[in-house]
Amino acid sequence: MNLAFRQRWLPTLVTAAVLLLLLAAAGALYPGFLRPLVFANILRNNAYLGILALGMTFVILSGGIDLSVGTLLAFSTILLARAIEAGLHPLPAAFAVAAVGTFFGAGQGLLIHSFRLPPFLVTLAGMFLAKGLAFAVSLQSLTISHPHFDAAASFRILVPGRAPLTTATWMFLVLLAAGILLARRTRFGRNVYALGGSEDTALLMGLPIARTRVTVYALSGLCAALAGLAMTLNTRSGNPAIGLGMELDAIACAVIGGTLLTGGVGSVFGTFLGVLIFGSIKTALDFHGGLDSSWLRIAMGILLLAFIVLQRALSRSGSPNPNS
Amino acid sequence: MMACRTSSAVARSWLWPLAGLLLLLAFNGIFAPGFFRLAFVEGRLVGNPVHIAVQSSKIILVAIGMTLVIATKGVDLSVGSVMAISGSTAAVLAAAGASFPSLFAASLAAGAAVGLTNGLLVAGLRIQPIVATLIFMVLGRGVAMLIAGGQPRPIQNETLLFLGSGHFWILPLPPLLALAALLATAAVVRFTPLGLFIAAAGSNETAARLAGLPAARIKALVYTFSGIAAACAGLIAAARVETADPSRLGELVELDAIFAVVVGGTALTGGRFSLAGSLAGALLIQTLTLTMINQGMPPEITPVPKALVIVAVCLLQSGEFRKRAAGLFRRPAAA
Amino acid sequence: MRISSRTALLALPLASLASAALLLPACDRHAAGGHVVGFAQAGAESSWRVAETQSIRNEAAARGIDLKFSDAQGKQENQLAAIRNFISQGVEAIILAPIVETGWEDVLREAKDAGIPVILVDRGVAADPSLYTTLIASDFVAEGRMAAEWLREKTGGRAKIIELQGTPGAAPAIDRKKGFEEVINAEPGMEIIASQSGDFNIERGKEVMEALLTQYGGQLTAVYSHNDDMALGAIQALQAAGRKPGEEVLVVSIDGVRAAFEAMVAGTLNCTVECNPLLGPMAFDAVEKALAGETLPKKIVVEDKVFDQSVAAEVIGSRKY
Repeated sequence: MNLAFRQRWLPTLVTAAVLLLLLAAAGALYPGFLRPLVFANILRNNAYLGILALGMTFVILSGGIDLSVGTLLAFSTILLARAIEAGLHPLPAAFAVAAVGTFFGAGQGLLIHSFRLPPFLVTLAGMFLAKGLAFAVSLQSLTISHPHFDAAASFRILVPGRAPLTTATWMFLVLLAAGILLARRTRFGRNVYALGGSEDTALLMGLPIARTRVTVYALSGLCAALAGLAMTLNTRSGNPAIGLGMELDAIACAVIGGTLLTGGVGSVFGTFLGVLIFGSIKTALDFHGGLDSSWLRIAMGILLLAFIVLQRALSRSGSPNPNS
Repeated sequence: MMACRTSSAVARSWLWPLAGLLLLLAFNGIFAPGFFRLAFVEGRLVGNPVHIAVQSSKIILVAIGMTLVIATKGVDLSVGSVMAISGSTAAVLAAAGASFPSLFAASLAAGAAVGLTNGLLVAGLRIQPIVATLIFMVLGRGVAMLIAGGQPRPIQNETLLFLGSGHFWILPLPPLLALAALLATAAVVRFTPLGLFIAAAGSNETAARLAGLPAARIKALVYTFSGIAAACAGLIAAARVETADPSRLGELVELDAIFAVVVGGTALTGGRFSLAGSLAGALLIQTLTLTMINQGMPPEITPVPKALVIVAVCLLQSGEFRKRAAGLFRRPAAA
Repeated sequence: MRISSRTALLALPLASLASAALLLPACDRHAAGGHVVGFAQAGAESSWRVAETQSIRNEAAARGIDLKFSDAQGKQENQLAAIRNFISQGVEAIILAPIVETGWEDVLREAKDAGIPVILVDRGVAADPSLYTTLIASDFVAEGRMAAEWLREKTGGRAKIIELQGTPGAAPAIDRKKGFEEVINAEPGMEIIASQSGDFNIERGKEVMEALLTQYGGQLTAVYSHNDDMALGAIQALQAAGRKPGEEVLVVSIDGVRAAFEAMVAGTLNCTVECNPLLGPMAFDAVEKALAGETLPKKIVVEDKVFDQSVAAEVIGSRKY
């Protein structure tokens, strides 16, 4: 294996191996775990998280972080529900919500770039702002009822094993494919990696830093709005109180997938694997079902930790470590 | 030369949260008559300024540890769960009849253990701080619930209760303890090389290691310290309400503490920190909370002013922003 | 390379711990032959909630039912996932304590299509009633009304009240506010002078009360709290400010946890409206009837009682939570 290959693919391969190990263990312990239905459920139950983590990956790759996505998702769901309740057709409403999310993200990106503000703080402010806005739209959750929206929410393709792929699942998979192409096959993607690798170098290379950074946060805002859309398709309702702590889950998924918070290193596909690991652990704990509230949290923590450490151990032993 | 510039930058940056705090207090002085009124109840001082001081004590304590963690380019999300573990441990031991020194030691040891584990994961295994401590945020909450049996536990130890609601002369104890902890920490980082080591470990780890500094050990130490600081905060917060609630104690305190630290001028990129700034930041956030209650703001929209204050303080700290704002005012004069 | 071998050394015990965590069911499983029932709990955020979980787990054990328990940690998305995982595991019935009222239509339909009866506890859902078997719950609006009626009677219709709300957006907070206001707004002598959120916990309850007291302390005659925990915090704040909760400031709250009864015996809390969390026996009665093919009423209302200081001392011994 040459060095470039190792650096690019090894973390992903290791993450995939860890996922397979996890699935094998769960399959051995719980009869009926390794079925298409369970896998399809992991995809649809985590579609919203996957879409958030997708946007988060670009932000982290660029060397930033976005804490606003959880509450922005909540704001998107309740805004969509309110718009449809007010008589707007779901399709333009969805586009409007996507636009709001994009502008919200772009606004944060502008603040971060123009005034050299720390992304952590700006997006923390964004988190509070979106939370307040969500409750300002409606304090209570709202049910969405519109024939076209219901049709979209009920749409599913059954794959063998009676496993349903729902609209939210398709959204996730299509966005995932788009994200992989965007990261690897476009100039924007290369700029993001360059910016996260070293801003000074990116500047010297004459890359459009301002545009790239603002676009990255706008993309994350868009993903949060789309994740909100996936959530409303799943629940047919908007809920201003949803999304608590979801930004941390999304960051965890990206990091489990091998993305470094220092920027420049990681992949969208790795994040996808991270989401699957996260979702599989939660599913395995549901299949277990015998733990009380305290042990459930402890088991969740230990499992996450174990797989992260395992992944570190595997990628260390496989790659030349400049530090040792 | 370098050190000089850094310290003046810090000195400037912690002035901004202080300015924000004064501005907020001035707002209250004008729009909330009686805001600063102090009274004596049974020989103790009460009133809004006292409430702010008491209520921010736990944030100050947590922020002391968080400041040093952030100075090493890390973050500690597990502090809220550590508070719950420490409070629950103390409550359970007190119910079993343990003496104050033993339950105090046990609670701090529990906090130190979580902190040390965080530190080993970050420094030894190089797991990214946000993820390592996120895991202990979830796991630690479970441990606290396990210790307390899921239910809130009354605190049955007179000495511990005194720490939470006792008074020294006319002044409440919690803010005095928090201040003492802050001063002690400040003295250690100021008068021993430790402060320099921490800043060095944060600004450039490889360089620090090459210069012979044990960067990994410093990080482990800093996370352990953060665990102990959070454990102290947990004891005081639980003692103040005479109850340790394992599922709610310390909930979301990590956000308040990070806010206090970063608004106080400690850079998330590591390398420079200001404990005085964190103090100003903690007082700022608690004053803001109290102001919103005082103004009768509907509770569901209170996050919005919080967001605006963060952005405002950020902008004030940003040299870029000040330059542009100054330019904006100068231009018409020039024309 | 030195570090990597250390990493590997640490990974080993962790991995074994992890597999141990996953392996636990083998020793936790009840005798075969009993029913398998899934319980999707909302979280463990209050002593009330923990008591509810305990009641359901104990009752399952007593009846030899294999209970699959999931704690959503306050997140609806976790609860939705848990129900789907219960369905794909083929449980025979599901007990759901919904976090919010909306968003359950699809997942309930999936359970119905799989022939799994769903019993809702402690909160209704905004979905077609044919999708669930029955709802066993208290009426949050009625609880707020009962608290207000007690206060009206006690004060003769004259009171200046501070209201401590629950977490913004939470169903009990919205309903308990609504029920209380219904009664108060019809009573010209009674007025809510301030209403703030104490987030359902004791610490915030105390902080908010401290802040409000400096402003409204002079006119305050009563406190209404959406749960006991916040009321206990408010009582501490009142005492610290030199006031006499239970005497010159009446304190009314909801839930009826043990600590509230202790406060009533001590004379600092005046009244609590019980919201019974011990739903285990009723829930499994419903499960067994549903599995036997019997039809159940769509709503089984849990009777909530008002307890005040006059009865606190004699009932406290019988309180289970």
